Amino acid sequence: MSTVMKTTRDVKGIGLSIPRPDGPDKVTGQVQYVADLNPRGLLHAKLLRSPHAHAKIVRIDVSRARALPGVRAVLTAADIPVLKKKAPTRAHAVLAIDRVVFAGQPVAAVAADEPAIAEEALDLIDVQYEVLPVAADPLESMKPGAPPVAELGTEADTSEAQAHGSVAGVTTEVKSSKAVNISQQARLQRGDVAKAFAESDVVIENTYRVPMVHQGYLEPHAVLAQWDTAGNLTLWASTQGSFNTRSEVADVLELPENRIKVIPMECGGGFGGKIRALCEPITAVLARATNRPVRYVMTRREELEAGMPAPQVIIKLKTGVKRDGTLMALEAEAILESGAFSGAVLAVAGVFLASLYLWPHFDVKGFEVLTHKPSIAAYRAPVAPQTIFAIDSQMEQIARKLGVDPVEFRLRHLQREGDKMANNQPWLSNGGVEVLTRLAEHPFWKKRAEWKASAKDGKLRGTGLSLGGWLGGLQPTGATVRLNPDGTLQVLTGQVDIAGTNIALAQIAATAYGVDIDKVKITTGDTDVAPLTGLSAGSKTTYTVGVAVMQAAQNARNQTLEIAAKELEASVHDLEIDGDRVVVRGVPDKGVTLASIGKKGNLYMSKVEPVLGASHPAFSVQAPAFCGQLARIEVDPDTGEVTLHNFVVVQDVGKAINPAQIEGQMQGGAVQSLGMALTEALMYDDKARLTNPSLLDYRKLTAADLPNIETIIVEKPAPHGPFGARGVGEPPIVPAPAAIANAIEDATGVRLTHLPLSPERIALAIASAS
Amino acid sequence: MAKQVLNFTVNDEPAEVLVQPWDTLLDALRERMGLTGPKEGCGTGDCGACTVHVDEKPVASCLLLAMQARGHSVRTIEGLGKPGALHPLQDAFVRHGVPQCGFCIPGVIMAAAALLAENPHPTEEEIRYGIAGNLCRCTGYTKMLAAITEAAGAPVGRRS
Repeated sequence: MSTVMKTTRDVKGIGLSIPRPDGPDKVTGQVQYVADLNPRGLLHAKLLRSPHAHAKIVRIDVSRARALPGVRAVLTAADIPVLKKKAPTRAHAVLAIDRVVFAGQPVAAVAADEPAIAEEALDLIDVQYEVLPVAADPLESMKPGAPPVAELGTEADTSEAQAHGSVAGVTTEVKSSKAVNISQQARLQRGDVAKAFAESDVVIENTYRVPMVHQGYLEPHAVLAQWDTAGNLTLWASTQGSFNTRSEVADVLELPENRIKVIPMECGGGFGGKIRALCEPITAVLARATNRPVRYVMTRREELEAGMPAPQVIIKLKTGVKRDGTLMALEAEAILESGAFSGAVLAVAGVFLASLYLWPHFDVKGFEVLTHKPSIAAYRAPVAPQTIFAIDSQMEQIARKLGVDPVEFRLRHLQREGDKMANNQPWLSNGGVEVLTRLAEHPFWKKRAEWKASAKDGKLRGTGLSLGGWLGGLQPTGATVRLNPDGTLQVLTGQVDIAGTNIALAQIAATAYGVDIDKVKITTGDTDVAPLTGLSAGSKTTYTVGVAVMQAAQNARNQTLEIAAKELEASVHDLEIDGDRVVVRGVPDKGVTLASIGKKGNLYMSKVEPVLGASHPAFSVQAPAFCGQLARIEVDPDTGEVTLHNFVVVQDVGKAINPAQIEGQMQGGAVQSLGMALTEALMYDDKARLTNPSLLDYRKLTAADLPNIETIIVEKPAPHGPFGARGVGEPPIVPAPAAIANAIEDATGVRLTHLPLSPERIALAIASAS
Repeated sequence: MAKQVLNFTVNDEPAEVLVQPWDTLLDALRERMGLTGPKEGCGTGDCGACTVHVDEKPVASCLLLAMQARGHSVRTIEGLGKPGALHPLQDAFVRHGVPQCGFCIPGVIMAAAALLAENPHPTEEEIRYGIAGNLCRCTGYTKMLAAITEAAGAPVGRRS
């Protein structure tokens, strides 16, 4: 990708920490989220949800609810003809038809004048259930004879894996067997594992477990739906991809896509949890039934009980190495608990386990298992933190057992560009080595012995690090760049900004066109007006939409220069943009303003074409991005309490388009990673009912739990990224679980393999070791 | 039950609004008065996104019944500063690039403003505890600490 721009001077564009233009609106409470919309005639929706994880619906009586004053609609599956059994996704399972398959599944919907009236109506709906046996544990659920979750013949859903576009060449298949709850299987093999284990000197075997966790976005799912008299539906949505929301809703409701307009409102956090449609279809149906605008906002309890969390991941991992540190064999079984509907990125788990380090012989089996729990979705680098927790913990233990430096051991075996991943794709250019090397140069790593020795008052101190990353997603996209009659630029995409990407895209446009950032305005358009684009997911917005914006801006620049060339009777090649003018190089007096060019493109009877730069690229080359993290901790061996003293994040971003925004991503991702490591778990009883459905009991880290997060940006340019940029969002959520587990072992000598690394687990492990 | 008349002061102006007996202060502000700066992130007082000041003290407005605010003075994020005339905290949050998704930000700033009103030069630990009732999922809190420290007029604190 050509990135050399001919401008007279450096423009105010890429590489600068320019504050986001929406900052003032966000700090004053002016930014509008879905729940802030209050159109005339608004109705409020509430859903009646099943208290049972698995039950037959014998009878539903809504008559008393319908009779309540202020209630405008009460719907069950029987009222929605497009609903079918064997729903392949949660979005399709709008309301349960005759069986509920997780606690919290919607069975009836109400629209009423006030939220309190809708809630009262829920109490008046009489549902008779026949409770059925529950598959609550994935290891039990995958056995023959377990209570079935999906209807026989339901298709497995691999669209999430495709959306993330992360791995190719792994076939996942749906095998019909007596194990009815195994919805996908994958296998990756190379070499002769049995022989290689026989030749190994050190064999280590562990089972790693990471529970279901919630993405934890602060804004619960919300949507506002309204139909016009011609039968067009408008959805004001909190989504990571308005075109994806449109497609899913169109599919579920059997509508043409151009009859639906999705207006993406400010998204109050998504992290993968707002990719798939969830409450949009039922809200649209309620709006149609009432001919009124209907708003649905999930409560936090509903989010935790019936959102789309990350899967539980159980990894049985066995590795064999020679005494001299030669890697020999890896054998793994990865079980991804997907809840009541298929959709886990199974192939990604397999590839990560066997691709980060160079195992000559491996055999990785992957199983997606259904249980009677809410179905899962992506969570920032889906399944990467879980699999890296396993493989990096294992590498650390091997290094300790061999008595070698854990960083040197990792560096010796880390796969490099061109090495074959487990799916036989070659590793692309990446900064894995650079990131780990930079982290190991940090004084906290070099002085880890001093830190350990400085412990006092019966406490223990340790240091741990870990390396992880993300392969980088791809998806076609588009952008336009227009020159306005006053010489300013207008950038339009359909890309939802969930991570500060719009300021980065504006910086790219400014630099590619050759004007300062303050001349550029960027807009995320709705699905009626914006160019088709993909999800804001997979760490691919800057990497892919950035290219579209860059090319559209170059295109607009070329058009501008051609118009100027005619005007100035000069060759295009002799022109350059200097401030707000196009000038002849070396003849600064000879020029024409951008405003005059823009104006002529909009004058009555003008023969000058308006400047409209466009680009709509598709992509084939990913840009893997690595992140290394280091933790300095103190452990109280009596209570198991971990105090985090320092935390360092090193990340390869290719090129830092906006360093401050990137630091924010690194810090936020790191704290989510630390939450997964230390405190977070959705906890279920043996009837698959959530036992901690509040933010008091689902414990996220607060400012008081944390030190400042130190960030170090490494820039190894991505050959195909805009100005060399790589994806930034996902890598920082990956390494902390292994880094903390490694630090705990450094401090206490005990190795923990189940997350979260809670005080209880740590104290028990220390007690049983001594 | 009939609606009730709530008379109180909101952002320095006298206000009179009809509320349901079960409306929370947050409901009254958001749904009855259009002050949507305070957010509902949990409705159970655990996330802090709905933080407002009642008589200059930080309060989770989702835990207070609207009628309990009768006769009291309430300040929301809308009454702290405006675009073009930002409060020093708001200005520091923008310049430090704190807001990402932005949903927690009104609550965090109201909590920080209450802290600084009571303790103009807090230590890093006092700031951390001052906003410990406010969950943020995007930022990791580090840039918040820098912005609040700067707004407090103190030198930027420990940067590990």
